[in-house]
Amino acid sequence: MFALQLALSGFAQGAIYALVALSLCLVYRSTTVVNFGHGDLVMAGAFVVYLMVVLAGAPFLISAFLAIVLLFALGVLIELGLIERIKAGPHIGFALMCIGFGYVLRGIARAGWGREVLPMPRVLDFPPLLVGELVVAGDSLAICATIAVLLVAFFVLFYRTRTGRVMQAVCQSERGAGLVGINVRAFHGVMWGTGAALGAAGGVLIAPITLLHPGLGATFLIKGFAAMTLGGFGSFGGAVAGGLILGVAEQLVGGYLSTKLIDITAYLVIILVLALRPSGLFGTTVAERA
Amino acid sequence: MKFYLVPILATAIPLFANAYIQFMVNLMLVYVLVTVGFNLVLGNLGQLAFANTALFGIGAYAAAMLMAHAGWPFWAVIVPAGLAGAAAGFLASVSALRGIRVYYLAIITLAFGELLRWLYIHGERATGGTDGLAVPQSSFFGVALDSETARFYVFLVIVTLVVKGISNLMHSRIGRAIVAIRDNELATASLAIPTGRTIVLAFVLSGFVVGVGGAMFALLIGRVIPESFGLIELILHFAMVLVGGFGSLLGSVLGAVALTALPEYFRGFPGLYEMFFGALVIVFLLVQPRGLSALVAHWWPALRDRYYREG
Repeated sequence: MFALQLALSGFAQGAIYALVALSLCLVYRSTTVVNFGHGDLVMAGAFVVYLMVVLAGAPFLISAFLAIVLLFALGVLIELGLIERIKAGPHIGFALMCIGFGYVLRGIARAGWGREVLPMPRVLDFPPLLVGELVVAGDSLAICATIAVLLVAFFVLFYRTRTGRVMQAVCQSERGAGLVGINVRAFHGVMWGTGAALGAAGGVLIAPITLLHPGLGATFLIKGFAAMTLGGFGSFGGAVAGGLILGVAEQLVGGYLSTKLIDITAYLVIILVLALRPSGLFGTTVAERA
Repeated sequence: MKFYLVPILATAIPLFANAYIQFMVNLMLVYVLVTVGFNLVLGNLGQLAFANTALFGIGAYAAAMLMAHAGWPFWAVIVPAGLAGAAAGFLASVSALRGIRVYYLAIITLAFGELLRWLYIHGERATGGTDGLAVPQSSFFGVALDSETARFYVFLVIVTLVVKGISNLMHSRIGRAIVAIRDNELATASLAIPTGRTIVLAFVLSGFVVGVGGAMFALLIGRVIPESFGLIELILHFAMVLVGGFGSLLGSVLGAVALTALPEYFRGFPGLYEMFFGALVIVFLLVQPRGLSALVAHWWPALRDRYYREG
């Protein structure tokens, strides 16, 4: 029963990791850039919501919408203004560019808030659901439901619509897609925007249930990577499954071994998976992709 | 001989510098090693890595623990600190032998660095936890290292030897193999060069150099705390390599000298540090991706790096 309760509380956290990993994966698949600043976009989403709700007094839903739209615009700007301009350079430049803007965002957050940790009112405070002896927290339920909707929308869009086929085409071959008249540049912009917006959605959802601090991004980046690695780098379904497994695993490790170990579960997952099975649980491709 | 001109001229610095400036110059020497080591992996090998602060930290902790717990003098801890860094470099990159490259390897180094920092915090008995470990005053073959000037001369000798060693190495078979892997791994492998092992070797060498830098850092600052080797420090290392110039030894020195003193100015303005160095990285990538060394080489072609590559 204890294990089940732990797994349940890990599930909501895992759903957020899944969302972060999925958005990382989306940018990686569509532009081959691994966004090392992604965590800071998640953090930025959370901070925009905090600013709107606590300081401007706006309702949560409107703030959430605004945060997602803002981060979408930021994602497009980063791709077209920064990444696109160093396309000719070595690949390592993309990673450094992402690290650079990530630190800028983190610096802005720290300049505004200093070293304080910020609590936010529990806007998702629904009454808990009781299933037998299990308690399902109301906010976890709200988070899982929101993420489920987002995930279903994403997978339908990607695999079942015409737009999705265009996306798949560019993912497979930029050159080929360009030849049949797809605007690859605009596509990259939109994908970066979507990735940033999905990441921000993760930030928006954690804002009410966690303490905010500017270093939040680094944590989420590593959890996202761990989820992605676990599921198989570059696989959308794998990223989601990896996120959920990671969330549950963290709680089980915390409950049965030591709460100190929660922090490093993700690191250990990355190291173990890449050492033992580099293609991840569901990946079929080889580990290397330049 | 040209090489030794700079350190020989540098011996005159204590004549002009007060204690504070001398401290900054000593810190620059520490960062020269940090940047040279990082650049070996980032610039010469062309492999993204995040473990540099971890290598730096493990060198510093190894030196501090040997000096504080075992009472070793400074000269005796330099090589062990380098070896500790080298061992960490090996662990961070050993998966390269299994064909793991590029982003995967980068992510492993990221996880590895954070894991080590967790160990510093939770290994209280050995590392002093978040309070850190105080490093006692030390001596170098009987000479007390209690003044900035004394430390300067010792540091200068160490840095000159290590940088010369790396310079020689980069012009050897091994150095050329490392650069060749950056430019085309498949072609390199076709020349019967074991690319996986060479990648690990580059990380080990980098770990040694950065580990020695860590030992110097521990002696100079007098206390090692986990905070010194976190993500805040990481952006400084990245910026030094990029500002100096990827894959250039001259660049590593220039980058370290140019940026070491800057963080001092950002104290008391939380966030400005991250904003500045983040923006610096972005600006250099957009405007001067080859760093200061390319600028210098443009005006003074004799200093052009032999492995400098346009585009």
